[in-house]
Amino acid sequence: MSASLDKGINALKEQVDSSVAAFFSSCVHCGMCADACLFYTETGDPERTPINKTEPLRRIWKSEYTLLGRIGKMFGLTAKVDDKLLTDWETLVYDSCTLCGRCSMVCPVGNDIALMIRKTREGMAAAGHAPIDLIGATKRAVTIGSPMGVKLPALMAQIKHVENDTGLKIPLDVVGAEYMLLLSSMEIMNFPEFIEAIAKIFDKAGVSWTIASEAFEATNSGIQIGVSDIAAELVQRIVDAAEKLQVKTVISPECGHAYMAIRWDGPNLVGKAFSFKVRHILEVLDEFRKDGRLKISGKEEQRLTYHDPCQISRRGGVIEQPRHLIKMFSDNFVEMPDTGKMNWCCGAGGGVSSNERADEIRLKVFQRKKDQLDAIKPDAIISACSNCRIHLEDGLEENHMDIPLMSLTETLADHLAED
Amino acid sequence: MSEIEFLNWVRGPGFQIATIIFVAGVIIRFAEILLLGRKTNLAEAKGSEMRSGLRTIVTRSFPDKSTFQRSMFTITAGYIFHIGLFVTIFLFAPHILMFKEIFGFGWPSLPTPVVDAMAVVTIIALLAVLTHRMRDNVLRFLTTKEDYLVWLVTIAPLITGYIAFHRIGMTAPTLLAIHILSVELLLVLFPFTKLMHTFTVILSRWYGGAISGYRGVES
Amino acid sequence: MSQISNDTEFKQALQSLDATQNRVVAALFIEHVMALCNDDRIQRAVNVAVNSSVSDDEISDALKLAKAAIMDSSTRCGAEGNWTEQAGYFVARATVAALTPPAQSRSGGTAWQAAMSCRMAQTSILIDNESDEVAATSENEWQYGILSGYLKS
Repeated sequence: MSASLDKGINALKEQVDSSVAAFFSSCVHCGMCADACLFYTETGDPERTPINKTEPLRRIWKSEYTLLGRIGKMFGLTAKVDDKLLTDWETLVYDSCTLCGRCSMVCPVGNDIALMIRKTREGMAAAGHAPIDLIGATKRAVTIGSPMGVKLPALMAQIKHVENDTGLKIPLDVVGAEYMLLLSSMEIMNFPEFIEAIAKIFDKAGVSWTIASEAFEATNSGIQIGVSDIAAELVQRIVDAAEKLQVKTVISPECGHAYMAIRWDGPNLVGKAFSFKVRHILEVLDEFRKDGRLKISGKEEQRLTYHDPCQISRRGGVIEQPRHLIKMFSDNFVEMPDTGKMNWCCGAGGGVSSNERADEIRLKVFQRKKDQLDAIKPDAIISACSNCRIHLEDGLEENHMDIPLMSLTETLADHLAED
Repeated sequence: MSEIEFLNWVRGPGFQIATIIFVAGVIIRFAEILLLGRKTNLAEAKGSEMRSGLRTIVTRSFPDKSTFQRSMFTITAGYIFHIGLFVTIFLFAPHILMFKEIFGFGWPSLPTPVVDAMAVVTIIALLAVLTHRMRDNVLRFLTTKEDYLVWLVTIAPLITGYIAFHRIGMTAPTLLAIHILSVELLLVLFPFTKLMHTFTVILSRWYGGAISGYRGVES
Repeated sequence: MSQISNDTEFKQALQSLDATQNRVVAALFIEHVMALCNDDRIQRAVNVAVNSSVSDDEISDALKLAKAAIMDSSTRCGAEGNWTEQAGYFVARATVAALTPPAQSRSGGTAWQAAMSCRMAQTSILIDNESDEVAATSENEWQYGILSGYLKS
């Protein structure tokens, strides 16, 4: 796929719809979005004001879709989009934004600024201005099937390990299973115990499930880099597998952007509603809880808190379920100040942690989460996203804080009652 | 031109021109937005778009505590001058008389001393807002010439109105003409600036709320 | 003491050990896979773990070393994964498990957690190993042997 400025400009044009036009028309430069963005609050750098990150998109909207702007363009008076602008904006749009959406929640005129930044990425990527690490991850996702190069044999080895440890069979390619589980490469590489936890829980819950050997990857690099065509291709693989296996529900694992990609963007990317449901693992587990399929024993004594992964809570709508589940094994749970849909981003999503160039700022903005933790002093943090987990561990380690990260699914599995 | 001729022009042709540009401009801006359309969302909905959109039009006016603490000046000053503008424009007896002539109906007014005081408060709030805009590092960065122009055409009617009402400096007809002219300037620039947010805020809040509400998150 | 031949017996035997013994056995498991990790910090941390008479401060310092080693060896999201290097990550994970205070440890005890991570380290190497050779003795069996030997002594 060759990149060019023209492709970038055309990509931006395609992104302007009535919502984008309404948003830009209503922005009054109040600056409140900056106060809600950890990349501004922890750096004090006004360039990182969320609405500023959308400047390339704004210029296209103004010059192509407003009367005044089009007239101005004829006289060379309207600001243009050129390679210099896109170069200057690369670190703002990619390194300094996780698409967490907190800005979208506070904008007094209701602008979904995170959506506008996501749209801006389409133009940046098409013009060749995406971070090199993201380009690499996306290439691997398309050619190998996983952004981290995890191939089927690697997954099979992890599966075999889990089967040996648990004595349970991991069902592969089962036609007619109710659930089809996706896995993120991060989980397969860094947290394979997640697979074990799923096996145990689903066995006890007594539901049929499977993993598709042709489409097991949950993460969608296309979403992060901002190339809808690639994102669509990756989603289509999952759709094909789910239809072939005739499953009822596809499960998105403990990964934030994977959920956004398959649950909310997926059908719109491939242009067709799905014939199956998509649920986050937390939604599925909460259904099990409601149906009485989960027997839990023993409590976690330590003081626990929950970090809301942005794409799952604020942008995904799965906010209450983790709390119901945590309360099954904990009587000592405390919320962070600013919680639920207003919780603060960990700082690593949306491609930021994949981008080595962004390491310094990623660790800097962790300060926001640190302040939240300092206020409530938990013994441990529960979360439901492998990327948040690794980055929070990184930040805690840098700041000499001894607060372990726990996966909600794994902790739940640890507390399954033996029958 | 004598001062009466000036006043008559401003009230007559001037007002007509300004109003036509204002109305046509607002319609064009709305059309520019709505004609772009938006693709239907094909994902399985978790909440109602319409309901969340309408709800957000109201709830977005009430920020949560933490947000308020972080943006206290902007929110407080913003509330003061918006309420002040509303009171001075729509609840002032002479203005209501004018609206009655245009629309055929009027409504109750607030006592003039109250409106007078509100005008002063609003002018002070707008001065504070300008100072803040020029000193805060985010606002300095974001602010464009248009922002300053809009500020000017917004405060001008307040100041000229106050001066006209208290008959300071010049004869009543001239002061009134200047005040009306400042309003006409506001009307003419309105559709081409961020002042459009007065109307488009309904759209942007609806869209923002709808998008979030579709995913089951009330915003 | 009968020979341990499966995970149920293995887990039971581990749970009969106290906290210090758990740590020492965990260290023995890790030493068996030490060749898969080339981070010097892990060797130093394991030297502390295997010693039954170290102070709490020394344990806490060693834990910090091991945690730092994890952060440096985990694969970042989207980066090209290398399973041989990932083995080192799992050895670091095992070391952290060995040195974690029992109250904060996950279920099964510190030695069980360390054993799992050691097995994962071995699995990682096998993923990169393209040949179809199957190891004569699995890591599980090695661990049963190590534990039996420890219990006898």
